[in-house]
Amino acid sequence: MPITSLRLRDFRCFESLSCPLAPGETLFTGDNAQGKTSILEAVCVLLRLQSPRTLAGRELVRFGAPGFGIAGSVNGRELTHTHTLAGTERRLLIDGEASTRPGDYLAASGLVVWMGNNDLELVSGSGEPRRRFLDFLGSQLFPEYRPALRAYEKALKQRNFLLKRDASPAWAEIDAYTAVLVPYGETLLRLRAALLEKLAPHATAAHTAIRMADGGAPASEALSLTFHPGGDSSQLSAQLLARRADEARRRVTLHGPHRDDFLIALDAMPAASFASEGQQRTIALALKLAQATLLREARGQAPVLLLDDIFGELDPGRRNALLAALPADSQKLITTTHLHWLEAHERPAARYHVVKGSVTPE
Amino acid sequence: MIPAVGYPDEIRALIAQLKRLPGVGPRSAERIALWLLRSRQTPSTDLATALNQAQAEIELCPVCGFFASRTAGCTLCGNSDRDVTQLCVVEQATDVLPLERTGAFRGHYHALHGRLSPLDNIGPEDLRIDTLMQRLREGFITEVILATGSDVEGEATANYLAGALGASFPGLTVTRLAQGLPAGGGLDSADDLTLLRALSGRRRLAAH
Ligand SMILES: [Zn+2]
Repeated sequence: MPITSLRLRDFRCFESLSCPLAPGETLFTGDNAQGKTSILEAVCVLLRLQSPRTLAGRELVRFGAPGFGIAGSVNGRELTHTHTLAGTERRLLIDGEASTRPGDYLAASGLVVWMGNNDLELVSGSGEPRRRFLDFLGSQLFPEYRPALRAYEKALKQRNFLLKRDASPAWAEIDAYTAVLVPYGETLLRLRAALLEKLAPHATAAHTAIRMADGGAPASEALSLTFHPGGDSSQLSAQLLARRADEARRRVTLHGPHRDDFLIALDAMPAASFASEGQQRTIALALKLAQATLLREARGQAPVLLLDDIFGELDPGRRNALLAALPADSQKLITTTHLHWLEAHERPAARYHVVKGSVTPE
Repeated sequence: MIPAVGYPDEIRALIAQLKRLPGVGPRSAERIALWLLRSRQTPSTDLATALNQAQAEIELCPVCGFFASRTAGCTLCGNSDRDVTQLCVVEQATDVLPLERTGAFRGHYHALHGRLSPLDNIGPEDLRIDTLMQRLREGFITEVILATGSDVEGEATANYLAGALGASFPGLTVTRLAQGLPAGGGLDSADDLTLLRALSGRRRLAAH
């Protein structure tokens, strides 16, 4: 099983924390802003070296502390991740030995799916949360995904800066960055298209499953996902060249994966504008369940599910449908502020109460 | 009340100086200062002499940009056994050392003293590109090897130079260190074997 214990030092509001985790469900209860979400975040950072809440590592460090440390037993091995604010930021250890390649570390680690309250934005929001959703999944499935994304974003920032800087664009400098941007951009376009192709049927199936468990008719409301790439994965260079005059006028890079999006539709109608909030919640859950299915398919091991305060917000029908649809063999870490839904639920093996950065077993 | 006693001003000044050194924190600065003082004579005076001499003697070679001595000159540019037809362009003067350790390159070097990064306000005019062009105009060099880092800025700098060199010197061969360098790293993060492979497998760059 993936993660059997978690230890924290100076992470978010936790000065120190040590808690065993159950193979099945571990529940963290408590009021808002006590640190429940930070525990799930720490598991995510330990396993995947990324936070679903922030891109800046320094935000994870407890106020006034020189850095943070997260450790845990993962798949029978001791993983340690420390981050120091001054100097050499990140250090990774596997069974006490330094791991210099993040790729090795990530391979030894487990996979995760994060489900949170703002998942609704996947359906109702702009393209940004949908791209982050693909990034979170892609980084776990393809070793080249995250390096390509990092490099692409860096090159894009430099290129856009150059386009904005001068009254008449310095194309010699801009194209020095175009040539860096294109191969990374094409890689991302290709990988995201592959992701969406694999994800779409799982999302449709998960959506039907939740709807039917919630008493819906099987034949109606088919979910479909359609990739709208921001550029051509083999012609990005030519596309950019063709838009040179437009880029000089609009002063921003006009093609590339930063403009990717995917259309979510119910019976061919765009869900963002035509689906009710309830329908949108079901779709968001389906997208996350599809992510879990895909990760299990890829790794042969069920991912850890990090469920951040999602049950209290759902109506009982959808809640029970989701509980039934969650993969039974996944380890689940659940936070909740509301306790009412728990009465109908089987008591989890481990249950903790979180108050102001300290955790006590219940 | 009697005020608490600390170190005399001279020691505090020494600690303050040591603390400014890269990688030295307040605790180590204090330890080093006390060690220098306790062992009186030799270590501290030797250190002071070496520091003074280095300061007075060392400059950056106006031709290649590597460290040179004011009296003995530049060990790279001054060596007539080196191949004058090959020029290896690196970002920093210190990038010369790992390449030299491979023993696979016998030509000359040119350190840019930086790399393109518009967001950090570093443009072509901030790098030693004019001196590079001047060296090429002398006409001895037939191949330029671009050995800037393999991260985004290093690649962009190589691309920019390939374009500029191709436009000004049509007959010149411009090559790039082959892939195999750790992505996102500078030369000093590559081990010797990786560098050796990168040197022997360099690829020709088309001018764009
Ligand atoms: Zn020299």
